[in-house]
Amino acid sequence: MPSGLRLLVIKEIKDLLRDPKILVGIIIFPALLLPLMGAAISVSTGSTIEKAYGNLSIYVVDDDNGPLSQALLDYLAANYVEVEKVAGPPESRLGMLSGGDVLLQIPAGFSSNITGGNWSGVVMYVNFKDFSMVEFIKSGRVDQIISSFKSELVRQLVSEEAPGRDPNALLNPIRQEYQSVIKGEAFSISPSVLQGTVQMQTLMGPIVIMLVLILAMQIAATSIAIEKEAKTLETLLTVPVSRMSILFGKLAGSVTVALLATVANVFAFTYYIGSVLGSVGASAGDLGQAGLKLAPAPEGYLILGLSIFGALISALAIALTLGTLAQDVRGAQSIIGIVIVPVFLPAIFMMMGDISALPQAMQIALYLIPFTYPALASQALVTGNYGMSLIGLVYMAFFTLAMLYIASKIFSSERIMTARISFKTKKAE
Amino acid sequence: MPKAVFVKDLVKEFSKRRAVDGISLEVDEGEVFGLIGPNGAGKTTTLRIIATIIKPTSGQVLVCGKDAVRESAEVRRLISYLPEEAGAYQNLTGIEYLRFMASFYYGSEDEVKAAVEEGVRISALGERLKDKSSTYSKGMKRRLQLARALMVKPRLAILDEPTSGLDVTHAFQLRRLIKEYAERNRITVLLSSHNMLEVEKMCDRVAFINAGRVVESGKPGDLVSKHGAETLEEAFMKVVGFA
Repeated sequence: MPSGLRLLVIKEIKDLLRDPKILVGIIIFPALLLPLMGAAISVSTGSTIEKAYGNLSIYVVDDDNGPLSQALLDYLAANYVEVEKVAGPPESRLGMLSGGDVLLQIPAGFSSNITGGNWSGVVMYVNFKDFSMVEFIKSGRVDQIISSFKSELVRQLVSEEAPGRDPNALLNPIRQEYQSVIKGEAFSISPSVLQGTVQMQTLMGPIVIMLVLILAMQIAATSIAIEKEAKTLETLLTVPVSRMSILFGKLAGSVTVALLATVANVFAFTYYIGSVLGSVGASAGDLGQAGLKLAPAPEGYLILGLSIFGALISALAIALTLGTLAQDVRGAQSIIGIVIVPVFLPAIFMMMGDISALPQAMQIALYLIPFTYPALASQALVTGNYGMSLIGLVYMAFFTLAMLYIASKIFSSERIMTARISFKTKKAE
Repeated sequence: MPKAVFVKDLVKEFSKRRAVDGISLEVDEGEVFGLIGPNGAGKTTTLRIIATIIKPTSGQVLVCGKDAVRESAEVRRLISYLPEEAGAYQNLTGIEYLRFMASFYYGSEDEVKAAVEEGVRISALGERLKDKSSTYSKGMKRRLQLARALMVKPRLAILDEPTSGLDVTHAFQLRRLIKEYAERNRITVLLSSHNMLEVEKMCDRVAFINAGRVVESGKPGDLVSKHGAETLEEAFMKVVGFA
């Protein structure tokens, strides 16, 4: 690396990383905030679940006192529910219930109606006080146990009505089985399990890429605006170093700081997702052999890496070019606020659906945005459809070269000092 | 021997506004030359063209015989430019800033070290050079900038309003520093100012600039006598027709 460029890159990194706004705002703050949020969600969800699932007790008004109502009460007890029998009309007890308390009323004739071939109801009173997750989980748990009892009862009744027949086959004569076909091979996984896992991977990619690009653009545009505002650029343009070195110094400095910020953000986001998913017991699903089939190929990573690099350089070239037009930092941030729209648009579209399902004009518009291709490449990691990503690489190479050419023209001309875009409204004469 | 600065028929237009309208001037090696004029007269634009930051619309600019447009890279090796209200990188210390700037001019570590030591001496900021420049007062920032401009011992130092915004004490110290340093190291200084007293005391020769044109030039004493004035300020006012 030429000595002038090396000096500028070191200075850029040092100056940017020592800037409290950058260090705290885009590296330390997200790195701490997301894990803290994850930990907070994990702790609060954990204690909620513990509270909802531990020592569940319900009140029961048993107006039936028959064999089936007793069987229901035994079933509840077998499922770790403490039953307290109470007498009198349920309405008279409602005022005494605490938040999340459940009162179950088993009506008179419950046993005789069911054994006689008629239906019978139970009434479940759930008291909501705070509408908290604990209250909903408690009632849901009682509901689930009663449903389970109902299924057992139905099976028993069917066995009695049709001796010698399999009650499960009678109740559920069609069993649905799933074979998800991935790259020509069938796997016994339901599409819903597959969707959970794949969406996790295909959504995270565009989000992280969008984050990197926006961060890098903000850093680059701000760094050039700071130089203009502090009048350091004017001095730098008169020292014996080429204008190209100044441009590439800014690019390299911004890329380095953006990558550091990205690493911090990705780690923080991964920890956050892990905390949140772990706390509610959810899982992306163990895909077994299908997971291996979905594992990205090495060339997929190469294409993704090249796509991100191309998009990053073109984004920085745009940001530096526009940064030269701003008179100060506030102006640079306003300009970048506008141009980040095409950065997050492709990611939004890809999160919401499939580009190929969009109207043709919209598809063309998205394919003209170079920032679409890293998002496509990240999806291709899972789908293995690299065709459009490869075309995108060629397009991005031309786009990036064009942007670098424009940036180099501005940097090597006096426009770097004289170009202006003002967001101020004109004063009245 | 070529002139330190040779400017002929210099014109600079921004959109439809003509900031410099045919300026011609010559500065000898080792001379301290002042451009005097009100705000908007074209002083800064002229200095920026000589410092290779912007290009002229027409005319010729030579620095020590090198063309400021066609040989701008060579010109940048000969000059040192101090913009009006120049700042340093807020997150670098004073000493880091001096080292960063000196490294562009010298290949060896010893030369860089010697230049930085010179910068430390000129700035006279002592231990404060270890602090970030964002903590400096206006006077300290200006001393750091002047040290940066002079420590590399340029053939031509271009100083735009060198004492701008400074109080009487700091301005006095800075003027003395520039004058002494230029004499001792045989550095040519081209400076701009709208402070007539400053220019009268520091410059060997001056040029009056008004509305983008040189309207008069010569030694300060000669100009005062020529126009029957008591001060350079009065002479300027007579030349531009306000007295």
